[in-house]
Amino acid sequence: MKKILMAALLCQSTLALADIEVTEQYARAVPHGQLNSAAFMTLYNTDTTSLDLISASSPVAQHVELHTHSNVDGIMEMRQIDKVVLLANQKTMLKPGGFHVMLIDLLQELNDGGSIPLTLHFSDNTTQTITLPIKFAVPMKIDHSMPHKHAE
Amino acid sequence: MKKNALTPLCGLIIITFLLLIGLGTFLFIKPSNLPKAINLGGDFTLQSADGPVSLSDYQGKVVAMYIGYTSCPDVCLTALAIMRQAFISLPEKQQPYVAGLFISVDPERDTPKKLKTYTQFFHPAITGLTGSKEEIDAVVTQYGAFYRLVNMEGSAMGYAVDHSSRIYLIGPEGQLLQTVSHNASPVELIEALQAILSTSK
Repeated sequence: MKKILMAALLCQSTLALADIEVTEQYARAVPHGQLNSAAFMTLYNTDTTSLDLISASSPVAQHVELHTHSNVDGIMEMRQIDKVVLLANQKTMLKPGGFHVMLIDLLQELNDGGSIPLTLHFSDNTTQTITLPIKFAVPMKIDHSMPHKHAE
Repeated sequence: MKKNALTPLCGLIIITFLLLIGLGTFLFIKPSNLPKAINLGGDFTLQSADGPVSLSDYQGKVVAMYIGYTSCPDVCLTALAIMRQAFISLPEKQQPYVAGLFISVDPERDTPKKLKTYTQFFHPAITGLTGSKEEIDAVVTQYGAFYRLVNMEGSAMGYAVDHSSRIYLIGPEGQLLQTVSHNASPVELIEALQAILSTSK
């Protein structure tokens, strides 16, 4: 009974604070023995004030950091960042080649089809725990109807 | 007095103008001259988990080659995922004629064994290669690629590797034919591979 109450309370607190809507979240499946992975998602700040994503944590990795990738004259540069600014009423995308949550020194394997929890920490001291499906890193769907025009 | 003040100014304007023309001409001419001036590509030998591998071992096949590092969970994974997608989407009879190479510029973290696990995760026809810094630098220069190690203070990663991110397409005779961006669609890569396969028979 106590547990149910706690769960109910937790749900309520998450709902009450859900100014940030998280969608399209996933973590990348990585090869066996691989120490790092990355998590991606879309963060929609439904509030009228801007908010920062300041850190993240997960039991699946020893360290979780916010990173960004930028393409500087064709050179991909990955850097750690302190925050991701979530502008009011806007969607911010964490996606390959841009902002991402780095999962460093993985404590378990991330296999396609599994899922991991990730807690997001925001600048207003709120947190939100989400579940991310683990997906194989296929960049985009391929059109299987595409004729193999050079096949013969 | 007035004239004296104006003359240097006029001179400056004329010099600036001439410099701009010069710069404009340089920029205009440079791109068309580049491909002729630099002959990129060529054979090399690096280490795989199963011994040394040379590009010339792949004679008769179209090779898709990527230069990166495995701690990069983003663009490198994307490039290999595109490669996998392209390879498995090719008609079965073309599949034996394509191969992938992933060259790590981070030999400190990427051992040949680790690279094998990494590349096999994507496709059995992709081989992971690395070598000494000198060997890697030679290949990087040969292909007009670029990388540098960058300290990331405060990050548990320690350092990142900035790197150019292209898939190099090498023809059956070992010649570098073209490059494809790491964020190209698999369809673009398939079409590029098939175009090479169809002309090289």
